[in-house]
Amino acid sequence: MIVRIVDRRQGLELTPRELVLFHLWNGCLRAVLFALVWWIFTDGAMDSWWVGVPVILFATLVSKVLLPPYFWSLTGIIRFVPFFLWRSLYGGVDVARRALHPRLPISPGLFCYPWRLPPGLPRIFMANVVSLLPGTLSTQLGEHCLQVHVLDERKDCLSELETVEQRVAVMFGISLLPPSSGGE
Amino acid sequence: MMPGDYLSVILLIAGSLFFLAGTLGLLRFPDVYTRLHALTKADNVGLGLMVAGLALQAESWTVVGKLLLIWLLVLLAAASVAYLVAAAARQRGIKLWKR
Repeated sequence: MIVRIVDRRQGLELTPRELVLFHLWNGCLRAVLFALVWWIFTDGAMDSWWVGVPVILFATLVSKVLLPPYFWSLTGIIRFVPFFLWRSLYGGVDVARRALHPRLPISPGLFCYPWRLPPGLPRIFMANVVSLLPGTLSTQLGEHCLQVHVLDERKDCLSELETVEQRVAVMFGISLLPPSSGGE
Repeated sequence: MMPGDYLSVILLIAGSLFFLAGTLGLLRFPDVYTRLHALTKADNVGLGLMVAGLALQAESWTVVGKLLLIWLLVLLAAASVAYLVAAAARQRGIKLWKR
């Protein structure tokens, strides 16, 4: 699968033909996803598709208007899932241990993580993931940095955040910008 | 009971323990930010384990799909709401608890 940058802010240039193909491919993919959700909702009832097909087409159309398409990498997503599951399990165990510990071993603090991801969906995605990973909680999506509340200042969460950012970038098929030039 | 049933029981009990720990964190942690940590992470894992335990008992793939969708939507809601609450608290100038 070819991974390319779609974000216009990163200077992507597509020929009109490529753009049309990309939108078609993206639309088909979304329709398949909505069809899957319909199949789940209706328990696979065959006679429901009379309603389902128009609904799926309408949902695809609305989603195309509301959410601009992004290139994403299938291998990136497949590699992200086990990473996310494992780290969020660890995050749950970590916070449960601290909550149950008689002396409440926490030492909270705030810190700013300079963005290397481009603005838009990748940043929002990362902010959400950060809140579910061990010891970190997004508190502000700044222009130049992500403000993070950490449960334990003594722990090194910088390398963890760098790993997350790297993996999110791979998922969206984008390259990371050097920090500080991340904002517009 | 089948071996799958035992695994279901273990997963469901483990899941409820995480919910218990999350609730305990909500009560014991000192400020809004630390409480959000307990809610988002512990409940996410608790629900994940419960979904896994229930999926083992599911009669069809559509039920597994429904359970997974529920988990994903709750994850999305938990992360977004945690961010909104934390950002609102920062905007109002609520100080964070320091040891």
